[in-house]
Amino acid sequence: MTTGSLSGEVIVSFFAATMCLAPAITRPTVPFGVRVPPERANAIVIRDERRAYYGRTAVIGACCIILVVLLRDHGSWWLSRIVLLLELAADFGCYLIARNRIAAVKQAERWYAGHRQVVATDTSWRTDPPRFPVRWLIPALAVIAVTVLIGALRYPDLPARVTAGGHLVPKSVISVFAIVAAQLYVTAMWTGIMLIVYRSRPDIEAADAAGSTRRYRRFLAACTRAVLTLLALVDLTLLLAALRTWQVYRSSGIGSALPVLPFAVGLLVLAAVSFRVGQGGSRLPGGHGGHGGDGPAAGTDRDDDRFWKAGLIYVNRDDPALLVGSRFGVGWTFNLANPTAWLVIAAIVAVPAGLIAISAAVGL
Amino acid sequence: MLLSIEPDGPVPIYQQIRDRIVEAIAGGHQPAGSGLPSTRQLGVDLGVNFHTVNKSYDLLRQEGLLRLNRKSGAVVQRDAGSGPPRPDWAHDWAARLRTLLAEAAAQGLPAEDIVRHCREAIAAFTFPVDGESGPAPVGQS
Repeated sequence: MTTGSLSGEVIVSFFAATMCLAPAITRPTVPFGVRVPPERANAIVIRDERRAYYGRTAVIGACCIILVVLLRDHGSWWLSRIVLLLELAADFGCYLIARNRIAAVKQAERWYAGHRQVVATDTSWRTDPPRFPVRWLIPALAVIAVTVLIGALRYPDLPARVTAGGHLVPKSVISVFAIVAAQLYVTAMWTGIMLIVYRSRPDIEAADAAGSTRRYRRFLAACTRAVLTLLALVDLTLLLAALRTWQVYRSSGIGSALPVLPFAVGLLVLAAVSFRVGQGGSRLPGGHGGHGGDGPAAGTDRDDDRFWKAGLIYVNRDDPALLVGSRFGVGWTFNLANPTAWLVIAAIVAVPAGLIAISAAVGL
Repeated sequence: MLLSIEPDGPVPIYQQIRDRIVEAIAGGHQPAGSGLPSTRQLGVDLGVNFHTVNKSYDLLRQEGLLRLNRKSGAVVQRDAGSGPPRPDWAHDWAARLRTLLAEAAAQGLPAEDIVRHCREAIAAFTFPVDGESGPAPVGQS
């Protein structure tokens, strides 16, 4: 058993669970990425498709977990990644089946006929903006600092050739501290994305604008803390991997899986928080159709399906937003019609690509 | 302040934004001295171009309801407690009200229904009390 194969099992299991449970944490008014009026959120077709999706994805997840466990000792680490891709593709197929059936009924029965379609906002989101929980970044930064400190202390005693990227390479500052660069990248990237989220628009329901803004504040605070906790635990996973590379401890058998443990705990924390709050705070008290506002008199959320490709990818040239709330599961997605979104995506891809290129150039 | 617009409605979006802000000022939700989001922020929140919001803010500035400042942003300049309006403004408003009432009459809306609608609208807004500088909610008097 290797760290790579075990993390493969963790990731396949994690995605099996999250893909299966995604409809439960999605907003009730966007089942499978289809915008529906609140009074249709419990339509028979939606209930049936949700039940069928749970069944199909549960079977797919179970099969993939069994497959990845069976393959654990019979191949390279990338076999688990192939299983993961197959799992995601099959789950996506189930999602599309449900989405297409709901969209067909919505169109045939003209669910939006006679609705006053509106876009609502609460200006207090800007005049009294939520504060980014900077203190929750301290654990991640502390783990990075400890990694640097231990690396500096161990550096003189390390042999002439050290393990980096699975290969033995000559000892150098770059080869020894490559893992710190990975920690810095992951921490900076996710902190940056969460900072953009804080400047983005909240998911506000027209029928209960004030209530949904309050719930979104709680949702954002909870998700940010969960992401920053996950970051600290990912950095800890990298620290534990570095300690083994730097010969601070040796492990074999099940002990070699130790570095994966913090990462798995972090994923569980994130999944638990997502399940507790739901997308945009939809699972918080008052979020399931319990309108505390003006109700239908305030209008219905605008039917914006035409801007969502497959209900997952947002492309709207008329919308200046950079990030918007996801329609399936919990999280955010880029508005791909916004050029800045492509710059951010390019930066996310370019930094690790650059680091790999530099590593190759210096002979790592 | 809660603000909602109909992006696909017949009224231009800049006019809708302007109308909702006027209603929020009249309802006491956005008193004089309170700030509004920047044009870019409100554009993002409503999913419209910031030029559209800029046009709304500029209209409100011309009407004397908003003060636009590079440093402090958009701030509400006056509300029900800020004293009487200019005489020429009241004259223009009376002309517009006359047209609005004429529309209702031309469509055959009974006078008592028109008065009922007016009372409901007035009940939702805040008006200055005679002889006092501060506003008083008409609906509660």
